[in-house]
Amino acid sequence: MEERVLPRKLLGLILLRTFFLQASWNFEKLQNLGFFYVLAPALRFFYTGDDLSAACRRHLEYFNTHPYMASPVVGSVLALEEKNCRGEKSYLGIQEFKRMVMAPYAAMGDAFFWGGVRPAAAGVSLFFAIRGSYWAPVIFLVLYNVPHLYFRTVGLFQGYARGLKVVELLQRRRLPDMAIRIKEGTVVLLGGLCAYLTFFTLREESVPAGWGFAAAPAALLVGRLVHRGISPLLQVFIAATLLLTLNRIF
Amino acid sequence: MLAADYFLAGAVSLVAGLDRTAAFQFMLSRPIVAAPLTGWVLGAPATGMQVGILIELLWLGRLPIGAAIPPDDTQVAVGATALAIGLGSFLGLAGVPFTLLAVFTALPIGKIGQVFERLVRQRNVRLTQRAELALAEGRLRGIEAEHLWGLSHFALASLATYSVIVGAGSIILYFLAPLLIEPVSEVAGWFRLLFVLIGTAVILATMNVSRAMSLFGASFATAFLMLWLL
Repeated sequence: MEERVLPRKLLGLILLRTFFLQASWNFEKLQNLGFFYVLAPALRFFYTGDDLSAACRRHLEYFNTHPYMASPVVGSVLALEEKNCRGEKSYLGIQEFKRMVMAPYAAMGDAFFWGGVRPAAAGVSLFFAIRGSYWAPVIFLVLYNVPHLYFRTVGLFQGYARGLKVVELLQRRRLPDMAIRIKEGTVVLLGGLCAYLTFFTLREESVPAGWGFAAAPAALLVGRLVHRGISPLLQVFIAATLLLTLNRIF
Repeated sequence: MLAADYFLAGAVSLVAGLDRTAAFQFMLSRPIVAAPLTGWVLGAPATGMQVGILIELLWLGRLPIGAAIPPDDTQVAVGATALAIGLGSFLGLAGVPFTLLAVFTALPIGKIGQVFERLVRQRNVRLTQRAELALAEGRLRGIEAEHLWGLSHFALASLATYSVIVGAGSIILYFLAPLLIEPVSEVAGWFRLLFVLIGTAVILATMNVSRAMSLFGASFATAFLMLWLL
């Protein structure tokens, strides 16, 4: 059987295509077309004729994971397709592997990127923004995109190099634990940000600083209301109306 | 000038809108980036920064998990900045109070963005069906083309949301801003604090960290006492 190893140029093209994974996100099969689009150059490299049609068909089924965590899945699937085109058997089928990993990878990515890195990067950049620094958006983009691009790039190449064993690599990274640490750091950061803004707002409005200690319980109370399903937008409008009314009365 | 400002901000809305879901996801779509970028394009980055801070704080805790569609904070940020700068100059009311009014106007109108995005995701189901047809006919390149068509759907949804925010927002602000600008200017500082506290509360409520309340309380008290003593 002919040895078919993906050239680096083709892997680069696949990496570029991962940035368009969600271009056709839909309610029926979610990222299925996107996953096919990313893999298409490799499938054409590995197969021809009926084998190519069969490969295309198996990648048009339902697929959904976190967009950045799709890279290690793509990498592993490339390794499995390569084995498959050489006629080698793997202990896990290609579709089986995709179905098995997409949900846990999505949970890890959501917790780490959406729930951890993004609020933390925003929290740091908000300090700069409030101080009036125009570097704030740049700081946010750098802090956020370093781990983002690392996972996209290294995930794809490690997935391709390690095949199914990339799962062990991700387990060793302990992303859920890291996400919790980052979230805790963000909460501390936001506490400082609130204190800073409360202190200077009271000073500007010539209100005794001691009133500032009411801000933390107020935030916690609003948090409870949000937890009970009361829209933050509605709370903003109610509080703004109250502020305007109180200002008119006093 | 107003039309030119809205047009330029529309270009930012398109790029940031695609970055939100369909392409790249570098987070140019976050309000802390999209609003200052719009402000910079329109020649008033400081106004964009003010808008970005408020909206980023308010919706930082809303996550696009699974099939959930969070509020379109991108188009709210771009639209509010365009209104604050473009309409503010046109009416001769530009400044912090008008910026706050622009944000308050754009926030509820921006809910329409969720409707447009839901429509796009429903419409994209047809792309999957057409891709399956292309596969049956042996047109493999056709499947890739169907996928890329999705970009145009997301771009249209972004522009539609932006247009509604700017269109409806202009009409509302044209009539209400002269009446509200003075009372809002008297409480502008408190409004900013309001966004910070509610935004933080949303994050605390949605973050799912067991010690969030105690960590937040300790951090707030320490920082506040330090500022007070110094």
